[in-house]
Amino acid sequence: MAKIQYSFIFFLYIIIKCNGVNVDIISSDLKLKNVDRNIDISSQLVKITSKITLENTGRAPVKYFLYAAESVTKDNLAFVGFKDNNNKDLRLVETSVKGYDDVKFWRVELKEAVNAASTVVVMAEAVLTKALLPYPTAITQQEDQLVKFNGNLYFFSPYYVASQKTTVIVNTKSVESFTKVKPFSQQDGTISYGPYSNIGPFTEKELSIHYKNNSPFLTVTRIERLIEVSHWGNIAVEETIEIEHTGAKLKGPFSRYDYQQDHHSGPASVRSYKTLLPASAADVYYRDTNGNISTSNMKVKKDTVELDLRPRYPLFGGWRTHYTLGYNVPSYEYLYHSGNEYLLKMRVIDHIFDDMQVDELITKIILPEGSTNIKLNIPYPVSRLPDNLHYTYLDTKGRPVVSFTKRNVVENHIQDFQLRYTFPRLLMLQEPLLVVGFLYMLFLCVIIYVRLDFSIHKAEHPHKD
Amino acid sequence: MPASSVEKPLNSPNKGLFNNTAGFSTLITVTVLLLAWLAGFASRLFAVIRFESIIHEFDPWFNYRSTAYMVQHGFYNFLNWFDERAWYPLGRIVGGTVYPGLMITSGTIHWILHTLNIPIHIRDICVFLAPVFSGLTAIATYLLTSELWSRGAGLFAACFIAIVPGYSSRSVAGSYDNEGIAIFALQFTYYLWLKSVKSGSVFWSVCTALSYFYMVSAWGGYVFIINLIPLHVFVLLIMGRFSQRLFVSYTVFYIIGLLLSMQIPFVGFQPIRTSEHMAASGVFALLMAIGALKYLHSLNPKGQWKQLLILGGLLAAAAVFIAVVLLTYMGVIAPWSGRFYSLWDTGYAKIHIPIIASVSEHQPTTWSSFFFDLHVLVCTFPVGLWYCIKNINDERVFVALYALSAVYFAGVMVRLMLTLTPVVCVLAGIAFSILLDLVLREDELPIPQTESEESKSLYDKAGKLKKRAHEPTLPTDNTGLGMNVRSGILIAFMILLMLFSVHCTWATSNAYSSPSIVLASYGNDGSRKILDDFREAYGWLSQNTAEDARVMSWWDYGYQIAGMGNRTTLVDNNTWNNSHIALVGKAMASNESAAYEIMTMLDVDYVLVIFGGAIGYSGDDINKFIWMVRIAEGEHPKDIHEADYFTERGEYRVDSEASKTMLNCLMYKLSYYRYDSGGSPPGYDRTRGALPGNRGFKLTYLEEAYTTEHWLVRIYRVKKPDEFNRPRIPLAKRIISTTNAVSKKTSKRRKGLLKNKPTLVKGKKVSRLE
Repeated sequence: MAKIQYSFIFFLYIIIKCNGVNVDIISSDLKLKNVDRNIDISSQLVKITSKITLENTGRAPVKYFLYAAESVTKDNLAFVGFKDNNNKDLRLVETSVKGYDDVKFWRVELKEAVNAASTVVVMAEAVLTKALLPYPTAITQQEDQLVKFNGNLYFFSPYYVASQKTTVIVNTKSVESFTKVKPFSQQDGTISYGPYSNIGPFTEKELSIHYKNNSPFLTVTRIERLIEVSHWGNIAVEETIEIEHTGAKLKGPFSRYDYQQDHHSGPASVRSYKTLLPASAADVYYRDTNGNISTSNMKVKKDTVELDLRPRYPLFGGWRTHYTLGYNVPSYEYLYHSGNEYLLKMRVIDHIFDDMQVDELITKIILPEGSTNIKLNIPYPVSRLPDNLHYTYLDTKGRPVVSFTKRNVVENHIQDFQLRYTFPRLLMLQEPLLVVGFLYMLFLCVIIYVRLDFSIHKAEHPHKD
Repeated sequence: MPASSVEKPLNSPNKGLFNNTAGFSTLITVTVLLLAWLAGFASRLFAVIRFESIIHEFDPWFNYRSTAYMVQHGFYNFLNWFDERAWYPLGRIVGGTVYPGLMITSGTIHWILHTLNIPIHIRDICVFLAPVFSGLTAIATYLLTSELWSRGAGLFAACFIAIVPGYSSRSVAGSYDNEGIAIFALQFTYYLWLKSVKSGSVFWSVCTALSYFYMVSAWGGYVFIINLIPLHVFVLLIMGRFSQRLFVSYTVFYIIGLLLSMQIPFVGFQPIRTSEHMAASGVFALLMAIGALKYLHSLNPKGQWKQLLILGGLLAAAAVFIAVVLLTYMGVIAPWSGRFYSLWDTGYAKIHIPIIASVSEHQPTTWSSFFFDLHVLVCTFPVGLWYCIKNINDERVFVALYALSAVYFAGVMVRLMLTLTPVVCVLAGIAFSILLDLVLREDELPIPQTESEESKSLYDKAGKLKKRAHEPTLPTDNTGLGMNVRSGILIAFMILLMLFSVHCTWATSNAYSSPSIVLASYGNDGSRKILDDFREAYGWLSQNTAEDARVMSWWDYGYQIAGMGNRTTLVDNNTWNNSHIALVGKAMASNESAAYEIMTMLDVDYVLVIFGGAIGYSGDDINKFIWMVRIAEGEHPKDIHEADYFTERGEYRVDSEASKTMLNCLMYKLSYYRYDSGGSPPGYDRTRGALPGNRGFKLTYLEEAYTTEHWLVRIYRVKKPDEFNRPRIPLAKRIISTTNAVSKKTSKRRKGLLKNKPTLVKGKKVSRLE
């Protein structure tokens, strides 16, 4: 009952948080003096980092400012983060502004207020998923993959921008076409726009780049991460992963001959990728429903365990695969306790491959039997799923399972969660005692059976021929 | 845990036999049986250790799939399961066409474990079921042999059967097949039968019937039981060994066994409708008749009863026989099935049912495989048989019949070696026990007993020798053996047994422990490389084709495609519909366009072929191809002729000298399409050691969808009609040529014209528009 109540309150909290009871107004005092924007579209993600120089033209000091995402990108926006000059994270709160219903706003709270007529520099980082669309949408095995990026030529902001510059990193010379608004320049691998001056608030102008991008377009459509905590010194992690190649689809036949003869065949396909596990990971297994996938290598490095995972078959556009990856880590690295109070600190999601994009993440944490008072703390909003029970070896009343889910996850979400719970240490003895008791009863039964005669009548051992 | 289950049956008979040393001998028995179980279990794990915990081969995949289905959906849904993934478009009623004992057994284990919160995956239960049951088989064999001869012989037999290759060939970890549990059921049923014949108690006959029921639910080989037991009864009658015990045990067993066996949906009314089961009912009727005559005799013990009895018996037998023949003619009883005929006439299958003949395990057994599977046992079991016949009693008649019939069947089919193995172990156990008895008998000194006990348990199979001290049947004329002769013989036996266990381990490890879905190749430096092409292909199928895609392949791979690829198949290893298989064979044997018609007719989306040419894998489709042709010819003699696929000199080849039909058939093309890697000349076929005769061809109706890394599995997609009717034109050439299209828009005819425009005349009826 109590648990349900807790989770209900938690839900309520999240709902309140997400729906943004916060309503802000756009302060006309603020101006962006300079914006230096960097758009990296050389992988499957769009990574935008902007250096924003904020100026307070009003009289009163300003404690926060607003960040906006245009309606087109807001669904693709996986991550937004702000840092100040000292590389410290700034607090972000989702909010809304009257009259701009289809624009998504965040309120960025500064560490120190900006005084009148002074400036402050903040770094904004945003990651978009699925913003690069393959065009053409289907290619043959030998063709390169061309993708199209559609964005905003100007920095989208609720404030007046005095001067701005944009650099797009495409990392290739083969750019089919791109928006040409002067002043611009193209050097190998980058296209620069600007500086443009005096752009009004909420200005949008199409920026479109059509270029070759053969980097792996892999989407994790679903990952279920299961963390099983044992107080006997081990934490087992198991990830069930479904992956799809979301780049340009493969058109026509797949030819093994071409693929084997020519190493450049299938430039857009993915043969293998690297997964980084914690340095202490041991007993790694990599299998699917049909058994072990024998094509993988493991390298133990100083600060990480590097797995070179090769799916059973190369992944071409539109092809899917799924697998289970599991390993053990020692609990002393992640589990802290004082008395009966425990704190588990682990990653919400771990690295799967570089520049990963995850559609749906489900993390489940199985705590030892008898854990109570569970409190979960996650650095970003997630939706918590109802708690349930899990039964495994020697369990009597089941282990509590805490689970939550999040959509649209990228590498920036690899952060620690904290889970506090209470576990009476005496309960550790329960399982050994159970085994001992069972064996004791068993032997007792055998002894009784052997010593006593249960037959109704004496068998007279008939003929023995 | 196993200890407790072992203990119970052992304890009770013990008490009377070894009053003084009951505890001690029980301990030895339990220890030896446990060790046998352990050794049997361990020797079956080679595949798991070398590869992984995985289901092997073909049939086990179906069993695994149905078990998983049952665990997921429950038993009743399993019985009602209509599998639309198999035999497209016919489907298969799985619940009614399967022996459910295997699935129920592992499902029950799974259920018990999960009730106890032991979350073992059903796959692991399936993988380890057969090794676990091999331990139970050892115990059942022990019981059977001790019933026949002595407990010492029983321990020998138990140790033999635990490791003998003839049995472990069908019960290694991962080979999840009916035989794995059926041999246990077989031995246990026989044990209970002997027990009931011996005691004449209804209790034991009911137990026999229950055990028989389990056997029926587990394996089609139950027919062996239901013919062997009546045969036993019949022979006993002929030998004049009729007794009330026999009467009670057989009648009770027959009635209950009959009713129970009919509860299995797959068996249904067969026990009263087919010839295979008629022997049992005939003997039942005969026994009744003789019982009645005996009863009349007991009313009036004087007079000419002897002759009347014999005459009456003969008459009854004749009447029963004639009745069966008549019923067969009238069609009430189905005649012998083809598979049964092939047991009597080894050439029958080749002529009439090529599909049976095409399976290698249905070939006649060679002498070497007797030795390979049984090793020293094959030489010693006649000794045991001889002793049994020499000291005949009711039970030993049974084992003699068992041995003789099993030897015959094992000679007919490699596969039936499996039924021979248990009886060979029993008889060899008896033989060894007798021989050691002779040697160790000497002066009733108890000392060598304990000593040899220990030394033997080192080899797992020893330990049992000593205790036969009071065997009443021993010939006593050999007591004069000298000490040297004794120890010489003893050492010779030890060496024999050691060689036997070495051979068993070697054979199990090398011949019977390959999962066959994972291949391993060894490099020059001994490094192992795993060729995982099958799972690569099935994994590709399961992830990258439409959920309802239909895959055509030869029937060998049907179960695997369904089990691992989770896709619909046309034919599979349950070869119940010969004409459907022949249709697939015909498609493979026809040229591309003819095959396309068949494939369209069957809604085929993908075609899967196995091609071993790149790595030298000999079990591929081209090598099996001739059977496809034969089976296709059986059903479509007009279209397919076997001779067309051979060269004029009658050779089966694939190089440039091969026949034209061969070079153009679908199977050939799918195997060699764009195959240019491999050996030193590109495109060299390593399996057949030849350069394919037809190369560089194009496919019109199919396109390569996927080929695995070592070319072992090739999957093709069948094109839709619009894909090959309209060849793709490169963009640059998509110009409509306008040169010879003269514009008709001259000044004269400005308007368009209607051809055959009916001329309208006012007031007249318009003539019909054509």
